[in-house]
Amino acid sequence: MLIQAQQLEKTVDTSEGPLQILQPINVSINAGETVAIVGASGSGKSTLLSLLAGLDLASSGEVLIENEKLSELDEEQRAKVRADKVGFIFQSFLLVPSLSALENVMLPAELAGHKGAEKEARELLAKVGLEDRWHHYPNQLSGGEQQRVAIARAFVGQPKILFADEPTGNLDAKTGGKVEELLFDLNKDYGTTLIMVTHDQQLAKRCQRVLQMEAGQLSEAAQNVA
Amino acid sequence: MWHKISFRLLKQELKRGELTIMALAIILSVTAVLSLSIFSDRLQAGLTERSSEFLAADRVLSSRRDIPQEWLDQAGQMELQTAWKVVFNSMAFSGENMTLVDVKAVSDGYPLRGELEIADQPFGQGYVAEGLPAAGEAWVASQLFQALQLDIGDSIEVGNSSFKVTKVVTYEPDVGFSVFTDSPNVIIRHSQLEETGLIQPGSRVRFNVLMAGEPGAIDSYEDWLLPRLNDDTHSWRSIEDGDSPLSRSLNRAERFMMLASLLGVVLAATAVAVAAQRYCQRNYDVVAIFKTLGADKKQIRRIFLLHLLLLTAASVAVGMALGWAIQYVVIEWVAQKLDATLPQAGWQPYALAGATGVISAVMFTLYPLFRLVSIPPLRVLHRQLTAGNAIRWLQWVLSGGTIYALLVIYSQQWWLSTALFAGGAVAAVILLGLGRLFISASRKAGMQAGSSWRLAMAGLQRRAAQNSVQMLSFSTAIMLLLLVIVLRNDLLEDWKRQLPADAPNYFAINIAQDNVDDMQAMFERENIPSTDLYPIVPGRLTHINGEKLRDEVTKEDSDEDETERREGIGRELSLTWRDSLPPNNELTAGEWWGEDAKPQVSVELNVSERLDIKVGDELRFNLGGEVFTVPVTSLRKADWNTLQPNFYMIFNTSTLEDFPATYITSFRLGEERKSELYELFKPFPQTSLIDLDAMIDQIREVIGQVSLAIVFVLVLVIIAGALVLVAQVQASMEERQKELVILRTLGAPGKLLSRSITYEFLVLGAISGLIATLAMEISLFILQNQVFNMTPVIHWKLWLVGPLCGALAVGILGRLSCYRLIKRNTAQLIRKLA
Repeated sequence: MLIQAQQLEKTVDTSEGPLQILQPINVSINAGETVAIVGASGSGKSTLLSLLAGLDLASSGEVLIENEKLSELDEEQRAKVRADKVGFIFQSFLLVPSLSALENVMLPAELAGHKGAEKEARELLAKVGLEDRWHHYPNQLSGGEQQRVAIARAFVGQPKILFADEPTGNLDAKTGGKVEELLFDLNKDYGTTLIMVTHDQQLAKRCQRVLQMEAGQLSEAAQNVA
Repeated sequence: MWHKISFRLLKQELKRGELTIMALAIILSVTAVLSLSIFSDRLQAGLTERSSEFLAADRVLSSRRDIPQEWLDQAGQMELQTAWKVVFNSMAFSGENMTLVDVKAVSDGYPLRGELEIADQPFGQGYVAEGLPAAGEAWVASQLFQALQLDIGDSIEVGNSSFKVTKVVTYEPDVGFSVFTDSPNVIIRHSQLEETGLIQPGSRVRFNVLMAGEPGAIDSYEDWLLPRLNDDTHSWRSIEDGDSPLSRSLNRAERFMMLASLLGVVLAATAVAVAAQRYCQRNYDVVAIFKTLGADKKQIRRIFLLHLLLLTAASVAVGMALGWAIQYVVIEWVAQKLDATLPQAGWQPYALAGATGVISAVMFTLYPLFRLVSIPPLRVLHRQLTAGNAIRWLQWVLSGGTIYALLVIYSQQWWLSTALFAGGAVAAVILLGLGRLFISASRKAGMQAGSSWRLAMAGLQRRAAQNSVQMLSFSTAIMLLLLVIVLRNDLLEDWKRQLPADAPNYFAINIAQDNVDDMQAMFERENIPSTDLYPIVPGRLTHINGEKLRDEVTKEDSDEDETERREGIGRELSLTWRDSLPPNNELTAGEWWGEDAKPQVSVELNVSERLDIKVGDELRFNLGGEVFTVPVTSLRKADWNTLQPNFYMIFNTSTLEDFPATYITSFRLGEERKSELYELFKPFPQTSLIDLDAMIDQIREVIGQVSLAIVFVLVLVIIAGALVLVAQVQASMEERQKELVILRTLGAPGKLLSRSITYEFLVLGAISGLIATLAMEISLFILQNQVFNMTPVIHWKLWLVGPLCGALAVGILGRLSCYRLIKRNTAQLIRKLA
């Protein structure tokens, strides 16, 4: 089992008292699986993603990555887990504006202290079709290109888990389609576990499992055969 | 690995100009501090050197008894130059005539500072003397030619010796301003002193050793000498101790420069703070991404600390180079203009400037950096997340502490720094409150106006919290600018008033009672502007409220109790009487007398403070053996900066009029009429004249130097102020971006938006200007009263100029900054915000 959520709950304090965003959630994800989390806006999808990725801590319950309890780790140790095992793709790309495409892709590997970051980054940029644009800065790239850089960055260092938050949400249908292809192709090549939050039913269908989020409750909606 | 990432980020940030303001702010503070402190150091050294001429030395050791030879030897060993100057009163005779003279017996080397000037004829054109009178010769003042009916080549008798008069002394650097006590001078050689037989135990002689040398050597000698001095017999003086108008102007100018540069440093530090905060805020997303990608706090801290260190080091280096270049150019210019060379500065200004740059950069960046490092990674999903405000107090402690530390380091005066700091803190709180108040008032006013105005006022109101902080820095910048400008003008005006073009340039003293009417008539007939003629009766103040005073000029064998007595003036006073309060005098306590009043006296304020005299105290005077006691009925403030007769003690007419008196006046005679002087005063042979022109020129020159320095300080402060404004406008522009995008997307025309932003800044600027003017008046009142000893005035014009300039400056800056934003199309803006 790669990731497990046990009785996972999230409550936040609001001016009108505590608000429960996630009801107790139990879910297990195996290595190599592709999982889509779908649901309406505000249903708690992104919150679940942030808990599974160790970006935030649950109010109660537990997340385990390779049997390691995230609640027992401090922020620094969780950062280490992310550096070693996790890649991210975001709806708004979140590239570092002051770094070139190549430097953005190299960043996770460099932060983890890997040697040969540049070679690996160049190969990945070639795979996403941007080998000629490596020296461009994010503001010189289109939305689709930026997301391709983000995908290359997500795969650098060959993480075991890839979290994607609405990866095509900011792109038009055609560009979105291309980015989608790229994401799944690379995922297949690298054998990465993909956990993706999306509105897009078509995109969700390409995943092996679809989890439905509704008012903070999670249910298994479908099991697709790849 | 982290340093590579850090370098990459820095390179790009620099390229995109994101760090320009911060770098500029650091550069400016270093430049300002360095150039100012080198400049004022050198100017100060130059002025002191120049002013040392008033002592004819750097330091003077005076004593009522002979000074041990050992002390002079020690000075010689410490590489100080020394020269004797022994001064005493004596009668001088020539044929039938005799008069009281000041004999000055000097040794080779005199004067150690400044020049002695002599002429070949009485009242003739002076030139610089080379050396001293030969043995058996004397050089004497012009007045003595009148008093003794002398000609060049005649002899005068002093004590047992006879001296041939060979030259006329026209200018002695150390003649001082004590017009009352000075009889005409006779200069002889120190080696001939003994032959005169005038130095006997008990004679009233002042032994002086003049000393000059490198400041370090003087300090070492001072350390050696001071423990050996007896406070009752010895005095050790430098020019700063002087009570001359020059030393006062000097002190005042120094205080102004220090204050202005302090304000400049505070402004530059504020700019650093604003820019640092903005820089960190802009990097919140970057840090969140880094953390999401697995960076730990240590890596992030290192990455951004390295930025800060590199930026600081580079900016400090640039600032040093610029500061050095600026002071070099300015000094060259000043030196050329004033035809003088200024000595080099030491290493201290460099250390001070470097410290200022590093301290302001590090201390003002620490808190924003701390917040930056604690940005949660979750911000990648929830963009509104920032670091907690839990340790906000730290920011206040850090920035407050830093400003205070800078103030102390720079001024090296606890009280001034503490006063400024406390005043600033109180002002900040009041300004914040006032700002809020004005904003809410303007919102109401704006509702009645057109749509651009309505939008502007709504914006102001919505961002009330940020705006009042912004307003605080706008107001501070404008206030400090106004303060420096106004203070400069007041200071220069004040000096000009003291030394108007028609300031008296001669004192006439020893005017006989019989000559008073004739002399007044002469002044009127010849069209010579003069002051009133004041009678002078010499006398001593001996007791206050029956308590005997210590008297410096007592016999050598004075009794031991002397030291325990209440301090007195220590010399004979020039007493005068008058019916009305003299011009340039101001009553500070008690009342002026009417006619036919009982005996009473009015005391000058400084003396009353020194001797602890209050209205109602009984003073006993001894006038040539006649003793009487009078009550003090008023205290007066006299303006010692004017070249007019001033008196410590003024009596009402009935008290003194029966004593024999001589008279004094001061008058102005232009350069072109100087040749008439001899003829004009021929009918008044007893009258002595004192030429003030040399002294006035010296004061004018010093004021000229100082005025230039002040203009220079002003320019630096203005740049610092502008930098704060730009930094603040830029920072606030980012806050406005999002709103702009929404309005733009909703179809608001660019004109409406740019107008509303311009109006918003105009109003912000106007309110800041108004608050700044108010704050400036209050600070100015306190400063002029407490620090500069000037009379405070209200500057009505500024109440219009302040808000107007504030509105214009902030409005234009705001408009310029928003221009780029408005010019972008909406899609670009949206992407920029994404």
